[in-house]
Amino acid sequence: MNIKKTFLVLLTFSLFQFFSHSSFTIEPDEILKDQKLELRARNISKNIRCMVCQNQSIDDSSAPLAKDLRLLIRDKILDGYNDKEVYTYLTDRYGDFILLKPPFKLSTLALWFLPFVFFLIGIFLVFFHNKKSKKKY
Amino acid sequence: MKKKIAIVPSIIFLFVLSIFFYLLLIERDTSKLPSNLLNKNIPQFEAESLLKTETFISSNEFGGEIVLVNFFATWCQPCRDEHNYIRRFSNKKKIKIIGINYKDDSKKTINWLNNLGNPYSSIALDWNGKIAIEWGVYGIPETFVVNPDGIIKYRHVGPITNKVYNKINLLLEEIK
Repeated sequence: MNIKKTFLVLLTFSLFQFFSHSSFTIEPDEILKDQKLELRARNISKNIRCMVCQNQSIDDSSAPLAKDLRLLIRDKILDGYNDKEVYTYLTDRYGDFILLKPPFKLSTLALWFLPFVFFLIGIFLVFFHNKKSKKKY
Repeated sequence: MKKKIAIVPSIIFLFVLSIFFYLLLIERDTSKLPSNLLNKNIPQFEAESLLKTETFISSNEFGGEIVLVNFFATWCQPCRDEHNYIRRFSNKKKIKIIGINYKDDSKKTINWLNNLGNPYSSIALDWNGKIAIEWGVYGIPETFVVNPDGIIKYRHVGPITNKVYNKINLLLEEIK
């Protein structure tokens, strides 16, 4: 097999892996008939942390608890909960940790602002360093 | 003056570094998450009972005494490991132990309790894991201590060890 053919086979395989990924986690019996509601459920699931694997969303995780939570989100949506109410329901039980993106709160200020503080410190240091070296020459 | 200004970022950097270092040194297990239900009322739920014909209604089971809530299953080896400690708690006066049988086979659970002893005053069946979600459970075994007012005072994730048993005992004395 020449290089071109090998490349094409590998590319096809990678693309197949890439696009088929999400379809493996969500099982057919979980999917809601109403596409709009299903889309809402998927969007919420992408922001909810799998408490077992911790670095994956429940949308990506095949852990049993992730499946239970995906089903629960769909139940709540069918019960008429809006997105905010679903998030509140989950954070009331599992805390803010269940959200993949930490909320902007007084307790998370450092988390949000420290990167900017360090960035400014970096600029400050580079600026002073350059000033010093300019003086030398 | 300029030198003094240049020191400021270094001090901030060392301060942040010392916080990270402190977090590394203190004894903490990052896989164990704090419960959001601590110092809150127990979740209300109804379920089928094991060994009893009547429905398990949480509002009838809690209040007036200290309750230990233990999420367990026969397929969970750590649950078997901690069972002796749960039995030891059941020998104490004025403490009620409620078991939540998580996604299990009732026949197997009855056999399990016959072989190892039944420390639970009542057992609710959580077929689909919904009760566990109500309690913020993410891996069994998990044990909660509920005070006589129905407020959750403590949560332990994982099997009860000797160290945890002593810790819960101290807490029980405090609540009494």
